[in-house]
Amino acid sequence: MTVLILTSEQDVTADMVVAELHLRSVPVMRLDPADVPGKAVLSADYAHGDFDGHLSVNGHVLSMGGLRSVWVRRPGEPAAHASDSSSWLTAETRQALYGMLYSAPTRWMNHPRNADQARYKLWQLRIAHLSGFAVPPTAFTTAPRVAQQFAEEYRDVVVKSASGPPPGDPASALPTTLIGPGADFSTVAAGPALLQRYVPKRADIRLTCVGPRLFGARKRSAPGQVDGRYGDTGYAWETTAVPDRIAKSVQEYLALSGLAYAAFDFAEDEDGLWWFLECNQAGQFGFVELETGQPIAEAVALWLAGRTGERRVPESRG
Amino acid sequence: MRPFTLNYARPRVLPAVVTPYRYDSSMQLNVLPDGRPAVSDRELLLAAGTTTSTAGSQTHFDD
Repeated sequence: MTVLILTSEQDVTADMVVAELHLRSVPVMRLDPADVPGKAVLSADYAHGDFDGHLSVNGHVLSMGGLRSVWVRRPGEPAAHASDSSSWLTAETRQALYGMLYSAPTRWMNHPRNADQARYKLWQLRIAHLSGFAVPPTAFTTAPRVAQQFAEEYRDVVVKSASGPPPGDPASALPTTLIGPGADFSTVAAGPALLQRYVPKRADIRLTCVGPRLFGARKRSAPGQVDGRYGDTGYAWETTAVPDRIAKSVQEYLALSGLAYAAFDFAEDEDGLWWFLECNQAGQFGFVELETGQPIAEAVALWLAGRTGERRVPESRG
Repeated sequence: MRPFTLNYARPRVLPAVVTPYRYDSSMQLNVLPDGRPAVSDRELLLAAGTTTSTAGSQTHFDD
């Protein structure tokens, strides 16, 4: 039974898991959907009274009947590397590849349907609230007046992007930024603005969840630091204990979202309270493992290598 | 009219590091010039910055 990893060739975080699977002699196929069609070949059929499908890439072959689990790590867009790439070819290839995988009785980390929903920041806040996390007041609006009132009510407010920096502009970053006094909110009408009350913090928390296993990491913040991803403060990530109350909320969040893997970001305030900022359904863990020594890649490998069960119905949210 | 959020965009410092490994299709992971898996050199991976939470942000916003 083979583990399928959907990711790019450059993804060295996936390498960490591939190495763990090799150690355990667990068969693995690594495939970038961008390489279909071309370097990778797929074929699925519903004939002879049953469904079957095969994938092959670089001499590795996988039958859907032998599929143990799927890890959706950093997959490229289907057909992105094709010589005649087009939006139509991507759509057709997506239909063929994911339609075949969805038809296989396997377990997912994470199922794309659950992952797609879990990417929405407002939905994350709603699920976080239902799960019992402390959630900072937040507004996402195209109404300048609403943005102005939000900023007046909460005074120290940050603006953040929900979808990252504009694609196609690698030289641009959109870190979470404190809005200064006297901001002109008129341009909120030109695009939704995600505003959140600033949480003065003494540390950033990265909580990586692999199934039921939790890996807490903490990095001290520099005074006034807003976005912990940017700027070298000289502080490193260190292992930290996960409070029972947080662990309980995490399990509730994962149950509600159907996620098998998640990387939560929290801001730890001066009283030690962890404020929910976001939950990254495919968040990076390589940097945490490299700095703290936490065996996250091993945990991912063990989850992927776990017993497949006898499901006749393809898995998504339970 | 430029959306409000983009007023807070900043130039991004692009990494100058050239990753000293290449993908080995038989092993299905990246290897160093001497054939060892790149993940065996953790100091190198930290220096390369290819496992950080901003490394994939241009293509994957859920980092």
